[in-house]
Amino acid sequence: MTSTLPVVTVKVPTQRQPASKTAPAPRPPLPPSRASRLRSARPDLLTCGLLLVAIMVVQGWNIADYPTLSDDEGTYLSQAWAVQQGRGLAHYTYWYDHPPLGWIQIAALTWIPSLLSPDSMTVGSMRAVMLLVSAVSAVLVYVLGRRLSLPRWAAGLAMALFGLSPLSVVLQREIFLDNIAVMWVLVAFTLAASPSRHLWHHFAAGLAAAAAVLTKETMLVILPALLVTMWRHGHRDTRKFALTGAITACALIGFAYPLFALLKGELFPGGGHVSLFDGLKYQMTRPGSGFILDPGSGSYGVVQSWLYYDRVLPLGGLAGALLLIVSWRWSVTARALAGPALTIGILALVAMRPNGYLPAMYVIQALPFLSLVLAGGVASVAHAVLRRRRAEGERRPFTWARYVVAAVLLGVSAAYVVPRWYDGDRTAVTARANAPYRAASKWLATEVADPARTRVLVDDALWLDLVHAGYEPGHGVIWFYKADLDPAVTKTMPRGWKDLDYVVASPTVRRDAVNLPNVRAAMKHSSPVATFGTGDGRIEIRSIDASGGAR
Amino acid sequence: MLTSVFIAAVSLALFWMAAFTLWWQMHAWRTPEVLASTRFSRPDGGEGQSFSLLLPARHEQAVLDHTIQRLLESSHTDFEIIVIVGHDDPETAAVAERAAERDARVRVVVDTHEKKNKPKAMNTALPHCRGDIVGVFDAEDQVHPELLSHVDHAFRTTGADVVQGGVQLINFHSSWYSLRNCLEYFFWFRSRLHLHAQKGFIPLGGNTVFVRTDVLRDAGGWDPECLAEDCDLGVRLSSVGKKVVVAYDSDMVTKEETPGSLMSLLKQRTRWNQGFLQVYRKRDWKQLPSFGQRLLARYTLMTPYLQAVTGVVIPLNVAVALFLDVPVGVAFITFLPAVTALVTFVFELVGLHDFGKQYGLRVRPVHYLKLVVGGPFYQLLLAGAAVRAVWREQRGRNDWELTSHVGAHLNSSESREDVHA
Repeated sequence: MTSTLPVVTVKVPTQRQPASKTAPAPRPPLPPSRASRLRSARPDLLTCGLLLVAIMVVQGWNIADYPTLSDDEGTYLSQAWAVQQGRGLAHYTYWYDHPPLGWIQIAALTWIPSLLSPDSMTVGSMRAVMLLVSAVSAVLVYVLGRRLSLPRWAAGLAMALFGLSPLSVVLQREIFLDNIAVMWVLVAFTLAASPSRHLWHHFAAGLAAAAAVLTKETMLVILPALLVTMWRHGHRDTRKFALTGAITACALIGFAYPLFALLKGELFPGGGHVSLFDGLKYQMTRPGSGFILDPGSGSYGVVQSWLYYDRVLPLGGLAGALLLIVSWRWSVTARALAGPALTIGILALVAMRPNGYLPAMYVIQALPFLSLVLAGGVASVAHAVLRRRRAEGERRPFTWARYVVAAVLLGVSAAYVVPRWYDGDRTAVTARANAPYRAASKWLATEVADPARTRVLVDDALWLDLVHAGYEPGHGVIWFYKADLDPAVTKTMPRGWKDLDYVVASPTVRRDAVNLPNVRAAMKHSSPVATFGTGDGRIEIRSIDASGGAR
Repeated sequence: MLTSVFIAAVSLALFWMAAFTLWWQMHAWRTPEVLASTRFSRPDGGEGQSFSLLLPARHEQAVLDHTIQRLLESSHTDFEIIVIVGHDDPETAAVAERAAERDARVRVVVDTHEKKNKPKAMNTALPHCRGDIVGVFDAEDQVHPELLSHVDHAFRTTGADVVQGGVQLINFHSSWYSLRNCLEYFFWFRSRLHLHAQKGFIPLGGNTVFVRTDVLRDAGGWDPECLAEDCDLGVRLSSVGKKVVVAYDSDMVTKEETPGSLMSLLKQRTRWNQGFLQVYRKRDWKQLPSFGQRLLARYTLMTPYLQAVTGVVIPLNVAVALFLDVPVGVAFITFLPAVTALVTFVFELVGLHDFGKQYGLRVRPVHYLKLVVGGPFYQLLLAGAAVRAVWREQRGRNDWELTSHVGAHLNSSESREDVHA
């Protein structure tokens, strides 16, 4: 964090090796002592601390009720629950859909709260632990900004953009693996840009990068940008050790995953078991969502859903990244921010694949880098307006003109951003999007006579609620798609939909039922007994027709 | 269950050992600042110290003259060379006498001990030293002409009692083991010794070591019974708080060659190991003030044995993880030491590259390959030497193996065993 501070010439006896008093080459300045670092870091601590409080309030307020519970959140939290319960990596067969480190971390984060109150292990209440992740990430954005030579106010701006953009608020509240992976990537970048250029900092950056990839495998594409950052922050004499160390660390930890599969005998496909290979094949051959710029495609829709929440951060950041990449040769800021700009570039290119799969969480991994790049762009503009070609004795009117231009720019951008963000963040802290879910959960917990002997299809978000209500995890309360896709589950329902009692039709279930014969049949042969909410967002509890009901 | 706990405990212990060794081995490259501080500082032109350079020579008539001539080319103006020869070695003595006749700065001291070894020879010469500082070289060393000026400067500017310069084996291309041997020296003198100097506990090297004459006399010179008298001197001096400074400059190191055959390498290593064990048992290191220093001393002096154990246990451990039915978590822990060993391997490869760069030597792909493939075998050699050392020490055989081999067919490679890291 001190890399951009004016280096105080403190004489510090770092080494008891006096032969070194004057080295042949001019020695780099010694790092300031701990006390003086703390003193000079006080404004940083203040800025960062105040922003953190603001971010925590905005992100934490109403976190359980907005946005709508997502199926994926349910998946990861249920699997974290399975880890806590000692049921292995998932309560259904773990099939190498993602590396498991993500929900192992969720399990660790939610471990103590779930010990204190086991019933709190549901998606709504456990979103609170994501605040912790957001807090760490937000602070890291600030520190990284400072280490990449941003002035204090610009690093603060990056942190604010990252934590307060309505898009961030919505996505960072959710229990997504991406959020945790982003935290690790930020740790890696921050270590890679360590001002002391310490060999073991770079080594640790490699470890953090591996943790990020093992949390969410998509982080793999960001690693080249991390390497560039490390290269830029290395020193000629020690760089080869630092970089090889980092790469080795990352590779060795990364190989733990295939090693794990190997130890379990599940590396390669074979009869009667899942395999890492099959999992990879599934992820690589997921049906594409179309070209991002084609208005009819799914990808286009995903991008529009991001822009609905916020245009400033995604579009401004993208423009900033392009600007930085183009001006790389002559702009100091561009070179300092090479890592984040390159990250944005890579992510943009990957998203532009003509028929790739673009998930809604994709933008999460770009958020910190968009913020840094946008803040860097603003800092460059500010510098250009206020300082460029400013001579010692510049005439008063000129100087005043500079300030006027700066004030106008500031005013215009504030006039654009503040109302929009105010609206977005107000929705986030006031809307009650999850009332239907909560009501459905309550109904199933109270109105069903014998939960332990009742079989019900639900989406993943509601699953843990029903487990706490006494349904049998796995075969009593069933992730709806497992009824078609998991042989271990279909085996327990020889008569298909007739072996079920209820299906909870949430938007996700209605959407996916089209491709799932058992779920579709269950929907067809059932009628709603309770409906919560209205329109597309409604949740129906459908009872399977009694004619086929008796088991 | 018990097996699992046992395996996990062994693995974790091995992991910490390997991790610490790696941490220390990489000391010099931690930060650019640390790396810069490991070099000699540039001399300011002034001279304040006079040197007595000890040059023990035994059956080394072939190389001795060249070494003396090169030392005489030194740019420093105030030094004497004391060549120590044995009374039973007329050929070497003749070479030394001729050199003394040619240049007044060369003197000859005759060692008349019945059983000869290097510390006895140097103790014989110590009363004859007139310089402020005693330096030690071996008869086949190539010494840089600027070295003495740099050492002089280091003594004056740092107030050191001891200055250890770099020693580097150079002939990495000779054989697979010389490659590893060179690299061992590289990591030791380039990196690890600096850490020891910083921590205040240091086993000195056998040559290119400079000690203030009065400090050396107060310490009673070298221990004539110790097989690693250089290590012992360093331990004794640093244990009583004498200040040791280490400096390594690739253009200023003393260049040497590896032992000529695997057998002589094994013997040399056996002698060092036995010497380390003797130093450990002498307990001088117990005077070190802090617990951390004593721990470092204990660990360093026992390294040969730990090395022997880890060399055997790490592969065994991995085999256990792969073939025995242990829980996945435990299996992961058993891989930790192997992972650390792999990291060490990678850093060695980078070290070899850096070594080539520093000395302007061309390192070919085959050398990297040899480094990797030779690793386990070298480990085996080290383990063998460690076992052999314990065996000899138990049997009370602490003669210098070198001398027992001195005979009619002596070639220079045998006598190079004296080289010490």
